[in-house]
Amino acid sequence: MRKANETVTTASTDPTIPPHRPAPANGGARLLAVGSGKGGVGKTFVTANLATALARLGKRVVVVDVDLDAANLHTFLGVPSPRRSLAEFVSEREEDLGKLLVDTPLPNLKLIGATHGNLADAQPSHLRRVRLVRGLRQLDADFVILDLGAGAHASVLDYFLVSDDGILVLQPEPTSVENAYSFLRAAFYRRMRLAMVGHGVRRLVTLAMDQRNERGIRTPLDLLREIEATDSAEAKRFVETMRVFRPKLIVNGARTAEDVKLGFAVRSVCKKYFGIDAEYLGYVNYDEEARRSVSRRRPIVDSNSDADVSIYLQRIARKLIGLPTTGTGATADRVSAPIGRGSLGSALQRTSSSRPGDIGC
Amino acid sequence: MLGMEQVDHYDLLEIPRNATMADIERAYRLSQQTYGEGSLALYSIFESGEAAAIQERLDEAYKILSDPESRAVYDEDQPLPDAPASLRPWVDARSQEVSPAASPNEVATSSPDDDVEPYDAFEDEGGGDFDGIRLRRARLFRGYEIDEIADVTKVSRTHLRNIEDENFVDLPADVYVRGFVAAYATAIGLDPKIVVPSYMARVQESRSGNQRGRFLGRA
Repeated sequence: MRKANETVTTASTDPTIPPHRPAPANGGARLLAVGSGKGGVGKTFVTANLATALARLGKRVVVVDVDLDAANLHTFLGVPSPRRSLAEFVSEREEDLGKLLVDTPLPNLKLIGATHGNLADAQPSHLRRVRLVRGLRQLDADFVILDLGAGAHASVLDYFLVSDDGILVLQPEPTSVENAYSFLRAAFYRRMRLAMVGHGVRRLVTLAMDQRNERGIRTPLDLLREIEATDSAEAKRFVETMRVFRPKLIVNGARTAEDVKLGFAVRSVCKKYFGIDAEYLGYVNYDEEARRSVSRRRPIVDSNSDADVSIYLQRIARKLIGLPTTGTGATADRVSAPIGRGSLGSALQRTSSSRPGDIGC
Repeated sequence: MLGMEQVDHYDLLEIPRNATMADIERAYRLSQQTYGEGSLALYSIFESGEAAAIQERLDEAYKILSDPESRAVYDEDQPLPDAPASLRPWVDARSQEVSPAASPNEVATSSPDDDVEPYDAFEDEGGGDFDGIRLRRARLFRGYEIDEIADVTKVSRTHLRNIEDENFVDLPADVYVRGFVAAYATAIGLDPKIVVPSYMARVQESRSGNQRGRFLGRA
């Protein structure tokens, strides 16, 4: 969520990594980054559909495929492989990002695609990334959504960290959960190292990044204790940075009540392990229809906005922009606003025959 | 795990200091699932020994907070969550909101869901009727087994199952069903004033239409 008057007292010396910065008060696009740690969990599917949902809510949205190694956001949106793409900016053939915008079938939604330009320089340099982020914020849009590459490379982490909202998509599977944590761990330490001023403490953070370090620092909270023992000002800075590091979580492919709860459980673990407040944005149910929408190369939120999966995605979009999530109906007295039956109930119904044990009553 | 021993019982259960008994129960249930054996959310983060240690602390926290007397004693012994908050990373944002000493920098997010318990943000979306599957879903999300509901409500398991499965023909007369559903709703923390009319409308519709045992698409 937008944190309007959040003040951040970090002393980052790296211009790429302003602390999880608040969205510009007026003008300037709000930057969202969608990452996953692991490929194949539906990150691009979620990105394309969230962008579509936001556009349908009247927001001017630009989606940017920064996954230069495996770009396919355009395919999800039904846009032919764009002739002009981010590759041109990366290779410094084009400075104006506005010229790389490509129309999509949706009126409010534009794309900066990423077809391969020169494979030799597929990843932008550090300086180029700084320029890219600066340029993206200046685009004439309400939202700029970055579809990050899989994994936890420095470049991916930087996009995640500089964005106003870093969103992590995970699936209810051990591999995805494991990679989501390694992504968060890498992002966390990278962020912390940049927030620390003193060389000694920075070294300590670097040391802690190695899980088998000789000081026995295993968790971020262990690290905080070590820092507290050496430098209370740095410890304070550490805690403040912790507070503003608020990744957002989306569970994709939920089939059961247990899967839905995974988001809350991961949130709790984030609190107890990292000491950070992650936010559970919502879940998206498993739906064969979603898969078919990818084959049809049209976001399901657009092609079938009443499908369960679309309702979840639209809820997340509304939550992101601070609108009431229609029919949230947390308690019985708030369920009066009727929307289609897009509840987990129907997801459970569909799966109850195949995995009855999971929801047994 | 280091750091754990400093966390107070409320922060450990991730509940505000003014949490109700229902909040405590729910938080404890969720935490048991989160830190229980085989929990997916622990994968690659906490080793089993660490998870067990957390569980032990959770049990202890629950034991104290679930008993009004021991909770009162505990509360009295606890320092107010005040100034050192800046160095207490464990403090939950929600509990800070009730603290007058919360730093002005602690800006709550703007989501309307934020002041709602996290469960609530998800479990009952959808609106519309309170049908059997929705009741069942609400029950499961709150972590109750049918047996527990039966114990609390004194309604038989069979009736409860029939309510959830919408086996209307196997249910007794409406007047009883009304009472059962009200008790069920109350037991799982829903408002019977909303649930009962909604559910009973389904019962009556079904009985007039003679749709036996329909379970919303279940084969």
